Amino acid sequence: MTRQERQRLRTGLMFISPWIVGFLVLNLYPFLSSAYLSFHDYAVLSKPVFIGTENYSDMLADELFWKSIWNTIYFAAISIPLNLIIALFLAILLNFDLPGKKIFRTIYFLPSLVPLVCLGVLWRWLLNGQLGLVNTVLRPITDTANALFGSDVAPPNWLVDPEFAKLGLIFASAWGVGNAVVIFLAGLQDVPRTLYEAADLDGCNFWQKTWHVTLPIISPVIYFNGIMSLIMSFQVFAVPYVMTDGQEGPGRSLLFTATYIFFNAFENWRMGYACAIGLILFLIILALTLLATKVSERHIYYAGK
Amino acid sequence: MSKRFSAISFRVPVILVALLVLLSGCGENPREDGRVVIQYWDKWTGSEHQAMQDLVDDFNASQNEIYVEFLSISFISRKLMLAAAGGNPPDLAGLWSMNVPIFAANGALTQLDDLAASHDIHESDYLPAIWSELTEFDRLWGLPSTPGATGLHWNKDLFREAGLDPEKPPRTIAELEAFNEHITRFDDDGDIEVLGHLPQEPGWWLPNWAYWFGGDVWNRKDAITVESDASIAALEWMASYPERFGADELLRFRQASGNFASAENPFFNGRIAMVHQGPWMHNFIEKFAPKSFDWGVAPFPSTDPDRYGVAIVETDVIVIPRGAKHPQEAFKFLSWLQRPENLEKLCAKQLKFSPLVETSESFYENHPNPKIKIYRELAESPYASGRSRLTNIMDFNRDMVNAFDQVALQNLTPEEAAAAVQRRQGKLFDQSYRRWLKVRDARLEDKTQP
Amino acid sequence: MTAKTAQRVQTVCIYLMLIAGAIVFISPFAWMVSTSLKPLKETMAMPPQWLPSDLQWENYPQAIDEMGEFWRYTWNTLYLCLMTVIGTVISSTLAAYGFSRIEWPGRDKTFMLVLATMMIPFPIIMVPIFLVFRDLGWIGSFKPLWVPTFFAGAFNIFLLRQFMLTLPKELSESARIDGASELQICFRIILPLAKPAIIVVALFQFMATWNDFLGPLIYLTNQQDFTLSLGLQSYQSQSGGTSWHYLMAASTLVILPVIALFFFAQRYFIEGIATTGGKG
Repeated sequence: MTRQERQRLRTGLMFISPWIVGFLVLNLYPFLSSAYLSFHDYAVLSKPVFIGTENYSDMLADELFWKSIWNTIYFAAISIPLNLIIALFLAILLNFDLPGKKIFRTIYFLPSLVPLVCLGVLWRWLLNGQLGLVNTVLRPITDTANALFGSDVAPPNWLVDPEFAKLGLIFASAWGVGNAVVIFLAGLQDVPRTLYEAADLDGCNFWQKTWHVTLPIISPVIYFNGIMSLIMSFQVFAVPYVMTDGQEGPGRSLLFTATYIFFNAFENWRMGYACAIGLILFLIILALTLLATKVSERHIYYAGK
Repeated sequence: MSKRFSAISFRVPVILVALLVLLSGCGENPREDGRVVIQYWDKWTGSEHQAMQDLVDDFNASQNEIYVEFLSISFISRKLMLAAAGGNPPDLAGLWSMNVPIFAANGALTQLDDLAASHDIHESDYLPAIWSELTEFDRLWGLPSTPGATGLHWNKDLFREAGLDPEKPPRTIAELEAFNEHITRFDDDGDIEVLGHLPQEPGWWLPNWAYWFGGDVWNRKDAITVESDASIAALEWMASYPERFGADELLRFRQASGNFASAENPFFNGRIAMVHQGPWMHNFIEKFAPKSFDWGVAPFPSTDPDRYGVAIVETDVIVIPRGAKHPQEAFKFLSWLQRPENLEKLCAKQLKFSPLVETSESFYENHPNPKIKIYRELAESPYASGRSRLTNIMDFNRDMVNAFDQVALQNLTPEEAAAAVQRRQGKLFDQSYRRWLKVRDARLEDKTQP
Repeated sequence: MTAKTAQRVQTVCIYLMLIAGAIVFISPFAWMVSTSLKPLKETMAMPPQWLPSDLQWENYPQAIDEMGEFWRYTWNTLYLCLMTVIGTVISSTLAAYGFSRIEWPGRDKTFMLVLATMMIPFPIIMVPIFLVFRDLGWIGSFKPLWVPTFFAGAFNIFLLRQFMLTLPKELSESARIDGASELQICFRIILPLAKPAIIVVALFQFMATWNDFLGPLIYLTNQQDFTLSLGLQSYQSQSGGTSWHYLMAASTLVILPVIALFFFAQRYFIEGIATTGGKG
């Protein structure tokens, strides 16, 4: 290293020192101490007691842990693709550059500004089985269907019905998709016009252009949005907490892994167990991110490559 | 222009921060009169909060050494856990007595035996069912504020409408269910218009229904017994509801019911005729039910007509968290509150009975709750007992509530639901019991503040 | 069918879809505001009523009253917003400068580490972080909620760095030749130019603090210290499932400032969000 390099290294480190401190104290140390505590029985007010891998073997046998993992994966598996499709669809519509586009963009974006607690309170009301907006809209539809086909369907009771509670939550979070719309729209606007013109010359229709030109070019943006919503949906906590008054929903249908960590740490006095669950959740997120990266590598188009 | 703007825009936040830091520092100042400030958190809101506030005011006026700052905290068991774990608990906190074991076992409470003895507070002063709620591991962890005992509350008008004698509540579960059939009626859409009874309304004591079937969900010592006959019978009782009234119909009925403290409470607006509740009902009925609301209280019937008077006795209990800054001063307030006249004043204002054995004549004469004596008798019933004293009570209760839910939704049979709880809770209980035994002696000996 | 009519049909179709989408996205707001102005009876009416028969403006003061310490919560939230915005702006400007304007060995590898920390969601490490703040004696105070922002979060560094990389290198080099120190370059030259990006970071941080729920939930124990989000949740769990008109009024009040902020700074919001994804 030359003197100049050393000098630059010193200045660089000085500038990033706030981050370094933050990284050590708020990321690395908690992470390591989480790993340490996960091998202990720790009730906060007494010393941690080493119990080997007992927390992990408990976890494997704990139905509630598996339930929370299943709920989280269920939520993520529907919510991520649904949100991506809705966002992409709306972004494509907005990209037609019609007059009034900005107004629509604003309307689609506004819900993503709503604080999570408000979102939970509001959707709890919208999804109320008797009095909510959603069922007020659905009821004429099911009534017509019943009249036509002699069937007997009624709009679901959403958040009090174990079968529908997670779907209710999924719809509520799809409402806040505006962020992704804006990101997709920016990606779409970066697609060079010349490519579309070339496709036009080849006689491609709109769907062919979307499939063969638009999607490949914005694939990095899809990947980015996908990863972001993956990380977000695996830590879902606030909205279900609000919707269930800090409980777990009917038939535990809204018990997510983050909720279960919270219960164990701050209600059952099982900090060590909570840490162990946290680490497993982290490994799941890590594995899925790597998997998504691996899969998408083959399909992502990077300009210039 | 832009340069000046940026100069200002940098200065403004700096000044604001300085201001905010100054202002936020203000709250921490000790009182000018030199009194020790005691922080006291309790769960109440509204008139119940006001009742305690009045006593706190009395105490603050009665002497000039201690000043009690009384705060209303929602979801207090969770908040107290966070504060205790975070090393910043209040000096006094009002828990429910079912929370005592978990807080005590985890070393979050101060042992009060010595303090109580030195302040002339004795077990014999209190109703036995109440005192046992304050103790755990043979140690005293808190003192009562307002106790409660549960019973059957029935709507006499709905009895009349169904052609039943409004003055004759059911004496057995079988009778209750016969009444239930009479009272329940459906509207033209097939929705439940009026329901006789539902074990899940309000469902605050779901985990303990086994008491009314002659048993319990644990052996009161060292094992969980959710698969015992009584516990299964309680779940079978639950299972009979969707069979008779329809699982979907019950679900819709419950969703259309409002919050407890509201006019949409199904008992107050005449949609359910019989509920399992406590002494506070008088207060809430006055507030939320129609003026003409006609109701009665009696023991909740059990399967056996000879065991009439099964009830759950609980008490709001004031504890001194371990790590409290002023435990001595906190106990001074606590022992002041335990004087019969003060407890009677508080309990009367909250429409409850006194936790003490001796009650003054005037207490019942002037008591605003005309039915108070029934609750007091329930608290003294030989069949009265508290909730399960488990050190993972919240987790256990959630499992039990879930078991009842699953049965109500017909997803699980009573046996399957009980087996699932037994499997999980049995293991958790063994584990925590085993670990508790290891630390028990050290923890009970440790009376110091951390 | 001529090309022109085909074009027109297409336009109409797109508008129809846009409008349908807009109705879906806007109607929850409409329902919220409509409920907030209804008398209790009409919120419980079957079938539900679309509009209040008579606007109940007094629901708003009533909701503020019912929530307990609404103004206190607002003040707490604003205090936290201000502190976190200041912390974030200062610390992430410095860090982003270090990651973009100075070339030091190992810089880009370290930056990968910054990005990697975005992968650790808060719930995973909330227990040990809680314990760190416990050891500092900060539980029950505001400090755990604002002090960390003085240590530069990954996302904000990333955003600012992206922007600073687009500024020409020559700017710094000529200043260096003139003998300016790095700190001077950072604050005199880069900071003013990076203002749009800094505003974006400040806005995002403001939103994040306004929004935060889990942090206040575990760090704040005293009801008087609650933020609006926490206060609203605690109000709804106390009155849950009944006074929907008050709850909706309270929600409207919590959302309104954010919406207002958005309309003031729309450009920054949209551009800021667009850049987050563009170069991922």
